Amino acid sequence: MKLSSKLILFITGSKLAIVLLFIISLPFLVDGIVSEYTNYSLRRQQDKVISIVNKKGINYYLQGDDSFGSYTMLKEEYIALEPDSQNLYIDTIKVAQRLVETDTLTYKILIHTFKYKDKNYLLEIGKTVSSINQYNKSLQRIALYVLMGLIALTIIIDLVFTRVLIRPLGKIIESKLVNRKFPFKGQSVPVKTSTQDFKYLDESLINLMDQINIDFEKEREFTANASHELMTPISILQNKMENLLADDQVTEDVAMSIVGMMKTLDRLKKISSSLLFISRIENDQFVKLASVKPADLLEDIKEEIRHRLEDKSLTLTIDVTDKVTLKNVNHDLLFQLFYNLINNAIKYNVEQGSVALTDAFNKQGNYTIVIKDTGIGIAPEDIDFIFDRFRKTNLSENVGYGLGLSIVKSIAVYHNIDIKVASVVKKGSTFTITFPKNMLV
Amino acid sequence: MKVLIVEDEKTLAYEMETFLKKAFYLCDLAHTVAQGLEKIEINSYDFILLDLGLPDGDGLTLLPKAKKHNPEAAYIILTARGNLEDRITGLDLGADDYLAKPFSLLELQSRMQAIARRKFNVKEEALPLGEFSIDLQKRFVYYKEQQIELSRKEFDVLSYLFLHKNRVLTRMQLSEHIWGTFADDDYDSNYIDAHIKNIRKKLNIWAPTEWLETVRGVGYRIKK
Repeated sequence: MKLSSKLILFITGSKLAIVLLFIISLPFLVDGIVSEYTNYSLRRQQDKVISIVNKKGINYYLQGDDSFGSYTMLKEEYIALEPDSQNLYIDTIKVAQRLVETDTLTYKILIHTFKYKDKNYLLEIGKTVSSINQYNKSLQRIALYVLMGLIALTIIIDLVFTRVLIRPLGKIIESKLVNRKFPFKGQSVPVKTSTQDFKYLDESLINLMDQINIDFEKEREFTANASHELMTPISILQNKMENLLADDQVTEDVAMSIVGMMKTLDRLKKISSSLLFISRIENDQFVKLASVKPADLLEDIKEEIRHRLEDKSLTLTIDVTDKVTLKNVNHDLLFQLFYNLINNAIKYNVEQGSVALTDAFNKQGNYTIVIKDTGIGIAPEDIDFIFDRFRKTNLSENVGYGLGLSIVKSIAVYHNIDIKVASVVKKGSTFTITFPKNMLV
Repeated sequence: MKVLIVEDEKTLAYEMETFLKKAFYLCDLAHTVAQGLEKIEINSYDFILLDLGLPDGDGLTLLPKAKKHNPEAAYIILTARGNLEDRITGLDLGADDYLAKPFSLLELQSRMQAIARRKFNVKEEALPLGEFSIDLQKRFVYYKEQQIELSRKEFDVLSYLFLHKNRVLTRMQLSEHIWGTFADDDYDSNYIDAHIKNIRKKLNIWAPTEWLETVRGVGYRIKK
């Protein structure tokens, strides 16, 4: 999962959790607030009554009567004041039913006793529970709307900010990791960012890539120089042996050992020239301007390689369309690529086996050629290394010098051709060579 | 034919000289650009074999100057550099052929003969080969007037042996000549035997081929 998706998920998730918690607790919260407020307003009224009584005397209310009572039109609130015979001190707020005129209603009642001129009075101030609770629902709704609005607003702000914040990371990944293929050609452009961490990451990646390039360049240079320097001594030895072999005084035994030496030298020569060949490919010393028909190329290879089929009575079938032409390729390199692969398919095949070449277009519209043999196959633990230099997995007789597939790989990399290998031991191997769409004419 | 070998690696130059002398070429040696120019100004050569990396300069710079003095000569570039640009520049400057080191002296000689046929207009008749005759230009083998069908590779084997007659050629030398860079270790030298067998079979219908010898443990030879 991408970092930005994770952040978005986390931000949205955490906010939703808060909203949920709030929705669950909202009724209790509102009830609590309303009840607090009611208590407060009842107390205020009580204070008011007491202060009036203190100022203007109890008769302001009683006006000579025994008791005083008053209620609003809909009996939502009432007030009652009467002398209290019991000498008890009561000061409480409770919910209870009262009969007002003909209606029995549930009130929240403040009951308070006080002394005035050595007489006890009982004050009751009540408010119907239904009138107290009438604002709860709408209060809850408004609170919810405001909250949701705020949450939505913060989520949007968070997402925008996160995107802006993370954008340099995406650019670093895109420009340094996804769209770069080894060897990294061209200068890396630093990604603009004010975030210190991203800057550090970007710089480190650029330095790392530069270092890899330098080392790779050194290795390539060394390989080219070393193989090149070997050519002259090999030349001398080869020509000396050729002259020696032509000498009339050389006996049969000596001649045979000269041939043996020539064989060894030939091996050395092939290794050096293959290494030189690979380094030339890697140094872009081949022009990619030719257009090649794979069907024709494969027929040429078949002609060139035909004699090798007879040894084990192999059959080589080529079922490739002649309608496809590949452009911007190097003919000789492409020839070498297929030659080496087909040669291997023959070399590691079994008596009366077969090598079949077919082609297809895959879902992405790329062109693929498949080379399928009935050979000895490649063990799963070896399959990742077959393109490495000097790696010989099949140590049977007739092994090559271990560079054939390395050459294939460098040609493929140079042309941006993809090669996939699937293999079953003792059943055979399948090489799938994929040419990118833009190589097709 | 006169040959000038311009090669700074002295051992290599001597080996080439030894080989070419045996094939009846007259050889001069030069180890630097200066020496080469000096020799070219005095003498006239049929072949100039030119190494590119010389101690006092690039062999390619020698080429135009040498051509001025000795325009008829055939120029063959010998180099261990082997990169494409050198090859193209060399051929652009008028070189007739290009051989990448390390090369076989047999290959050098056969290239020289091919150039001689082409450049000096050496009209070769079909040459005798036992009771047969071989036309290297038209690439045919005849028995009296009868043309014998050989495959391309079979003719390559036979003509290479014929060019170097009286010399034993190893299977490796033959396969390198036929398959060039594609030759694959020991593997291909076995196919030389198959080709020889086929050549003998096709020719033996008409006349004996005892001149095509198998040399045990070494290779093949056309004896005359």
